[in-house]
Amino acid sequence: MEDSVMESDPAEVSAPAPLHGVADAWESVTAALVSPGGSGPEPGLSDSLALLCAHGLGRLLGGWLLETLQMRLSSSVVPEFWSGLKQPENELEERDRAWVLLTAFRTLLDRLEPFLGGLERLGMWQEEGRGGLCGPGPRGLQERAFTIIRALLLFSPSPVLQERVLEFYSRTFSVYMNQEGQCWCQEALDQLKELSHILSKLQLLEWVSSEAVTSILHKLIEQRMEQHCRGEYECSFLLEFQEWLELVLGWLSKVFASKADADGTTPSIPCTPSAPSAQAGQPGSSILKQWRCHMHQFFCRIYVNMRIEELFSIIRDFPESKAAIEDLKFCLERTNQRQQLLTSLKSAFESRLLHPGVHTSDILTVYISAIKALRELDPSMVILQVACQPIRKYLRTREDTVRQIVAGLTGDAEGCTDLASELSRGDPVTLEMQDSDEEGTEPEDWTPDPTDAVPDKMGSKRRSSDIISLLVSIYGSKDIFIDEYRAVLADRLLHQLNYNTAREIRNVELLKLRFGESHMHYCEVMLKDMADSRRINSNIREEESRLGEEEEQPPLSLSSIILSSEFWPPLKEEKLELPPVVCQAMEAYTHRYEKLKAMRTLSWKPHLGSVTLDVELEDRTLTNLTVSPIHAAIILHFQEKSSWTLEELSVKLGAPRELVHRKIALWQQHGVLREEAAGRYYVVETGSSKEKMERGVMLIDSDEERDSNTTTQSEQREEKLQLFWAYIQAMLTNLDSMTLDRIHSMLRMFVATGPVVTEMDVNELEAFLQRKVREHQLMVSAGVYRLPKSN
Amino acid sequence: MASQNMDPAAGAASSTAALKGSESGGSAARGSVSKRLQQELMTLMMSGDKGISAFPESDNLFKWIGTINGAQGTVYEGLRYRLSLDFPAGYPYQAPRVKFVTPCFHPNVDENGFICLDILKEKWSALYDVRSILLSIQSLLGEPNNESPLNPTAAELWDDQEAFKAHLHSTFKE
Repeated sequence: MEDSVMESDPAEVSAPAPLHGVADAWESVTAALVSPGGSGPEPGLSDSLALLCAHGLGRLLGGWLLETLQMRLSSSVVPEFWSGLKQPENELEERDRAWVLLTAFRTLLDRLEPFLGGLERLGMWQEEGRGGLCGPGPRGLQERAFTIIRALLLFSPSPVLQERVLEFYSRTFSVYMNQEGQCWCQEALDQLKELSHILSKLQLLEWVSSEAVTSILHKLIEQRMEQHCRGEYECSFLLEFQEWLELVLGWLSKVFASKADADGTTPSIPCTPSAPSAQAGQPGSSILKQWRCHMHQFFCRIYVNMRIEELFSIIRDFPESKAAIEDLKFCLERTNQRQQLLTSLKSAFESRLLHPGVHTSDILTVYISAIKALRELDPSMVILQVACQPIRKYLRTREDTVRQIVAGLTGDAEGCTDLASELSRGDPVTLEMQDSDEEGTEPEDWTPDPTDAVPDKMGSKRRSSDIISLLVSIYGSKDIFIDEYRAVLADRLLHQLNYNTAREIRNVELLKLRFGESHMHYCEVMLKDMADSRRINSNIREEESRLGEEEEQPPLSLSSIILSSEFWPPLKEEKLELPPVVCQAMEAYTHRYEKLKAMRTLSWKPHLGSVTLDVELEDRTLTNLTVSPIHAAIILHFQEKSSWTLEELSVKLGAPRELVHRKIALWQQHGVLREEAAGRYYVVETGSSKEKMERGVMLIDSDEERDSNTTTQSEQREEKLQLFWAYIQAMLTNLDSMTLDRIHSMLRMFVATGPVVTEMDVNELEAFLQRKVREHQLMVSAGVYRLPKSN
Repeated sequence: MASQNMDPAAGAASSTAALKGSESGGSAARGSVSKRLQQELMTLMMSGDKGISAFPESDNLFKWIGTINGAQGTVYEGLRYRLSLDFPAGYPYQAPRVKFVTPCFHPNVDENGFICLDILKEKWSALYDVRSILLSIQSLLGEPNNESPLNPTAAELWDDQEAFKAHLHSTFKE
């Protein structure tokens, strides 16, 4: 009966014979294994062992021990641990909670220690081969034991454990980092040390702590980043972060203190984090190294995330935000987030920049900053090229883009002074040179494009970061810029009217360096015209003064600017009949000019120019008024007759009524003219104070004074389209039907590129053809265009 | 007039042929011919003349297709003729070869489409261009030269405008 009871232990079921000696030996050996004392091997024990082994029971010892451990764990130890942890529920203070946590683990260790000791002893016996015992040795046995412990203990971990651990680590972390002046600071660190020892002894450290530590670190890095870096672009955070990271590693070294530490090589770790980096280099460094890598990676990722969000602002502030860009560059190289950056930046551009509410000059300013910032960030220029594609596309749709760029180049724009300084920068990249296929760099210096590069015909060598060439290439042609510059130049020269061209000469010279001599030829001629005009003018004046005695002096002094019409942009045509007195003066001038320059004559533009005049009235004189020719012509007519109707004036001036009406407002404002009923105007010979009051209310047509004298870009564009249409009609008349591509290539081939005509891309052409189809001037079927029959 | 038909480049090339190869001169001349043809095309496009039109056939600037609509008030009114224009390398010092592609019943046009027009032959001048050629041919349609007909049938029939028109329209094929 007794035997059968004993046989309930599975280890003994297989025992061959119920020998009393064997049973005794088993008893003594197993008792020695689980005894907490761990006394040295008694002499009898070796005999018992030998006896057991002789009966083939030795190899069962390990199995029995683990089995017992497992039973004990699941029946009492694990429930005890969990209930110990949960036991006194809410009302505890943080400090007590930490204590509970520690106690639970202490108890756990107490309960398990006998088994661990037994395993170690058994392992040692096995290693020594005592009594013919053999087996996996202490390491193998312990490994299995730890697996069992982990499995049973953490099979269904309660969230309480995670919470507690997290709280505990957070506390010790902040204590460690800040040495907060709370009373139990030292105690907390001691507890941390003890907990670490227990956990590492049970090999539970990784399992219990990793998650908590990770989440603490992540939260902290994020917090720190939010507090320190967000919105701060002007200093680098990498170095600072490195230092901080070392500090954190000091704490980590405490959490992951290895066994070597636990055995008391460093009896008490000082509370002050005096030399964290030195500590980080201590045992357990492989784990620490892992953590360092992990944290570094994590930092980079968070940093990149944040900066990607802020990239638009960083770009906007660029020269000041250089530090942030450099940090970002460093981190971006370590995280695979280029795609994310591109997507986010593109959408930021689209939502914040590319809508009708933003002034073109602002878009340009941001674009210029983006060029500068992104070429720092990515020297291969791929990010720049890809992210700024929407900006370029959008700018193409703005009508005043070219004008703004040109204004920027000449330093006229309010906002962007960058361009002017960029233009005058030494060693400019000539656009000529970029057009050539010459290989500038050594083959060895070649680096492949990043994988996200846009595959296009522009190789990396063509990808330029030169601001001016990037801006100029928005339209794919520099001619349009040169035309626009010509228009701007013409405007400036014609508004100034004083032959003073020093600044313009400088600009033209600078542009020549960029665009090449030949393209700036027209502008040079324009400037030369100014110089010539000055000379001719003084010549004619001299002649006039010499003739003074014999002939009558010309009634008014006239100076002219003589334009070589071929080289100037088309000027706005406006009809204006000047009063005879002026016409005579002009004729005399022309006459003198013809004498001076044989075979040439002048064709006057009466509406351009300015007139300086004095208005003498009965009681007052307005002196030195500078007005436009039409203003002067109007007031001059009032000299012969003191009252005119709008109709009469319009006929006299050969100008439309509305224009005269608008222009007359200036004289009303000066209080010289007054409108009576039915559109009749009178000269106000005697000014009264009452009228002076009224003057202030008058509207001025000041805007118009700044009007451009040259045709605008959109007018030029319309002209260009008209020309293209003529070509398209001709091709379809003669060649019947053509595809879009064919039309496009024909246009490219045969439209002689004069100063006005520039290239048109396929999409633009398609849109234009679609328009013509809608207007029934063109038919399309199956992608083939033809003219309607009636044409 | 004759002096204008001398290619100064060719003249210079022949006189200095001993000194330098004429090939470079030739290709340069071809470049300048292209330029001239491009310019003529531009002029034609800008002129906006009704009833005449021409355009390079393919990417070869030296072969054009022309279109002439019969002028109003003539028997050719409402008819449309295709022509081909071939420019020699010596253009504009040599006349282009112009012929009808659409069969044309006309006293001065033969069955192969060849045209008898003085300015395309002995009276050619470098001052003429595509536009003037097309305008000349358009007016030739309405005012044939019956003295030296290429198509005697047409010349004989010309005097009877009604019969001519009937024959013309019944035989016209685009």
